Amino acid sequence: MPEAQKEQFNANQLSDYLKLYYKRLFPHKQFYRWISYNLSEDGIFTNREFSFTMEDDIYIRYLSFENQSELENDICTKIPHKIDIGAVFNTRPKNHRSNANMKPIQRELVFDIDMTDYDDVRTCCNEANICNKCWKFMSIACKVIDTALREDFGFEHLLWVFSGRRGIHCWVCDKTARHLDSKGRGAIADYLQVSMSGGGENTVTKVTLYDKQHHSIRRARTIIEPCFNEIIIEDQDAFGSPSGIDKLLKMVNDETCRKELQNLFASTASDSKSIWSTFVGYFESMRVKSQLKSKLKYIVEEVQLAMLYPRLDINVSRGTNHLLKAPFCVHPKTGKVCVPFNPNLAHKFDPMTVPTVNLLMKEIDEFDQKTNEALETPDDKAAKVKDFKKTSMFKSTVIFEEFLRKIEQSTKSKAITVSDKRMEF
Amino acid sequence: MDFTKRSRIKLLKSPDEDSIDRFAPHNCMFYILPPQNDVSLKDFEDLAIERLKLLRILEQASLKYPKILSDEWKEFIINELNAEGLKYFVRLIKGNGNSEQDKHARRRDYLSHFILRFAYCRSEELRRWFITREMELFKFKFSSLSSNEIKDFIELYEMGYRPITDEQKNEVRQELQCSSTGNIDTIDFYKVNFLQVLDLVRQRKCFLKGGFAYVSSNDFSSIIGGHHQQFIEKGLLSHLKLLPEFENDERIVGIIKGLHTSYVGKDYTVNKDADVPIESLDQLSLKSYPLCMRMCHESLRKTHHLKHSGRLQYGLFLKGIGVSLEDSLRFWREEMTKNMEVDKFDKSYAYGIRYNYGKEGSRTNWTPWSCAKIISTAPGAQDVAGCPFKLWDSIELKSKLTSFGLNPMAVQDVVSYASKGHFQLACGRYFESVHETRLDEGVNHPNGYFENSQIIMGNRQTKEKNKPSSQQSNFNHRKQVQMNKQQEFKRKMDIKIKEEKDFDEELWKLSQREEELLNEWNTRQEQTKKEVAEISQMDWNDDDEDMSQINNYL
Repeated sequence: MPEAQKEQFNANQLSDYLKLYYKRLFPHKQFYRWISYNLSEDGIFTNREFSFTMEDDIYIRYLSFENQSELENDICTKIPHKIDIGAVFNTRPKNHRSNANMKPIQRELVFDIDMTDYDDVRTCCNEANICNKCWKFMSIACKVIDTALREDFGFEHLLWVFSGRRGIHCWVCDKTARHLDSKGRGAIADYLQVSMSGGGENTVTKVTLYDKQHHSIRRARTIIEPCFNEIIIEDQDAFGSPSGIDKLLKMVNDETCRKELQNLFASTASDSKSIWSTFVGYFESMRVKSQLKSKLKYIVEEVQLAMLYPRLDINVSRGTNHLLKAPFCVHPKTGKVCVPFNPNLAHKFDPMTVPTVNLLMKEIDEFDQKTNEALETPDDKAAKVKDFKKTSMFKSTVIFEEFLRKIEQSTKSKAITVSDKRMEF
Repeated sequence: MDFTKRSRIKLLKSPDEDSIDRFAPHNCMFYILPPQNDVSLKDFEDLAIERLKLLRILEQASLKYPKILSDEWKEFIINELNAEGLKYFVRLIKGNGNSEQDKHARRRDYLSHFILRFAYCRSEELRRWFITREMELFKFKFSSLSSNEIKDFIELYEMGYRPITDEQKNEVRQELQCSSTGNIDTIDFYKVNFLQVLDLVRQRKCFLKGGFAYVSSNDFSSIIGGHHQQFIEKGLLSHLKLLPEFENDERIVGIIKGLHTSYVGKDYTVNKDADVPIESLDQLSLKSYPLCMRMCHESLRKTHHLKHSGRLQYGLFLKGIGVSLEDSLRFWREEMTKNMEVDKFDKSYAYGIRYNYGKEGSRTNWTPWSCAKIISTAPGAQDVAGCPFKLWDSIELKSKLTSFGLNPMAVQDVVSYASKGHFQLACGRYFESVHETRLDEGVNHPNGYFENSQIIMGNRQTKEKNKPSSQQSNFNHRKQVQMNKQQEFKRKMDIKIKEEKDFDEELWKLSQREEELLNEWNTRQEQTKKEVAEISQMDWNDDDEDMSQINNYL
């Protein structure tokens, strides 16, 4: 609904909207079903840290709740602008002052991919802004990471969430993932981290490939290479400016080649397509003449990976105690709901049409009005339809439900095997 | 797995004093069960010193030849061990054996490891150093085992690994080939949970499928090594808990505490000797900063911002060279508020700086990053941190160094070290060129780099280091060392007392100041009261006068 989308979100009214949103739309029940994991482990819900960010950036850490209704009530009365989820501790986090030995016991493995990390390759927007063109970076990142986590590590319960403005989060909720120590998390993050940043403001991100390419990298290449032309050449027109060409040249770690390329580029039309085909052609001809240095053997593939391979904020994944914004929060700046999305259809997800909290409120009102007019008996029918079903949030709630159904199956079946074992003794 | 269960068993008192077969059944051993028998104080100390020598040799080898298990690396260690008279360690790293000599050697190895745990459990930095060295030793030992000895080892510790069948191998043939070296037909592969081979996972050196890693027998040491490391890590932490009890015995404290300071050098947590004004940082950054810090400093000056890792890396370094907390806050505030509101800085960044100085959060007085830490840091995009010799490519490095005015020869040396992966050597060469001098000790801490530079430039005094010379073999020498250690211990205690004194003094001053203020306030209050009283008195008097005058008039 593009027209409705134009409805401007006004950050000053956030508290008013949130009050209604938490009361009528926030999926409290499902949220609890997720975070309590069927109560399959001791203290898994009661020892979980939540933190609320209130109006004016007041930050309340170490909140914990005894049950669903306590959590729900607290959210509805405090009306936090942001809810973060932390680790499950060995004791109730709200008692953290009296317990010096509080330490995290488990925590979903999380990944955070932020559009700003792509600022050196995207030309369409920068910093906090995002458009459909940039979303393609996210969509690729999501596919690469999602496949690796499922195929290589055997994780099944992945929840992908749009972060409300310019990034995406992934929550890996399998039991093994939740119980990883920080070394394990670090190893997985490093496994997925292929590109290396130069560590300075003017350096470029790089990837180095060798003859033997790990299957995860080959797989990433099959995802990335077919999209390179569309994203980098057409959408971003990445080499259409002198600074873009400069960045491309910087990735070539050889001075003579760099000079030769520079000369070649000077006589090529300065659009991305010609520059890129000159670039590829140059190295191809070098290869045919077998003059290509071994360190530049895979330069074309390296450039492609460097520009499109997912750029993770691995410090987020490494820690067992990192707080991350909960799904279904409302982003305080954009008013957009942090909705889950289907990783298989990430390319079809449109961050521009993610419902804002004010739009949702309007939808509810409209729906109620319509049904009321049609039915003439205003009280029952309209009230019976659950509120979220009346709005454009419906789809993401369905995705969330599907995720919950699967994870509940797995925790249930585990619970059964545990009790079976107990019977034996 | 049975094997992990075993590790949890706390050994009951063993009646058999020397049941070395049970504690250390193989020359390449896990250190699982702590010793239960008595060791004389003299043996205790001898063993500690011997193992330290061994670990020192390993460290030197790895600094000289960064590729561990390379031939030069092995040769260096064996030569050094022989020269130091530690032949029994040489025996242990040459495969398994069961002779009396082997058992004797195992006993020393086993005991000395547990003794050093006490010296190395007390801080994260020390633990990391110790674990790195112990892992080098283990890898060395394991690498010289024959395949039969490996089999023995696996059986002995009941680890229950079996290679996969050819059929299974064929299913994932291509993938295996991509992630291993050599002909896969002749190599056995083991299928294990990926959690057991995190090192291989991290470097993408094994094929992964559905949470299982396919590991070639060449890489098998990584799995075993992983177990080994876990035992030591856990062991160190449980030793840490024992420490308070242990520290009641002053004889042992003298040995243990002296050991790590005399051998490992400083951790630079707080610099008490220097006070570096922030106005001098620009000047210092040119000559006394290592490249990693200079890059942070310049980037901060230029962009008025550093991302998280950069702030940690540089902030802790500043603390280490002697910038006070107040100066530090002022420095960062002045720079960063060129791009942001003061309010935002105070809200979001000042915390981090106070945190570095141990004034927030867990209140740990954080140690400045060492080279090992910096090299292993992988900065995110636009995050200025990490080791430039590792992160920058040769062309960039070259142009940067040339722009600093280094002579071309030196630039060439630095770049070539860096491109071969010898980052610390590159940094050392950079130091030599900047200071036009020789640097024998190498670089392993940015704050050490800074201190050396200051010493060379004559700004700081050389510190007296009582490093025991490595040739102390006779008793007298050892006695000397022990005396030194005790002195060292006393000195440390003195410092501690002094610290407390300083602290008390500070508190006292603070309270005094407060008192002064209060007095001032009180006097002022009284004064005001007096004045008010006087004024009202005056009014009153006046009134009175008026009244009386009026009365008079009347």
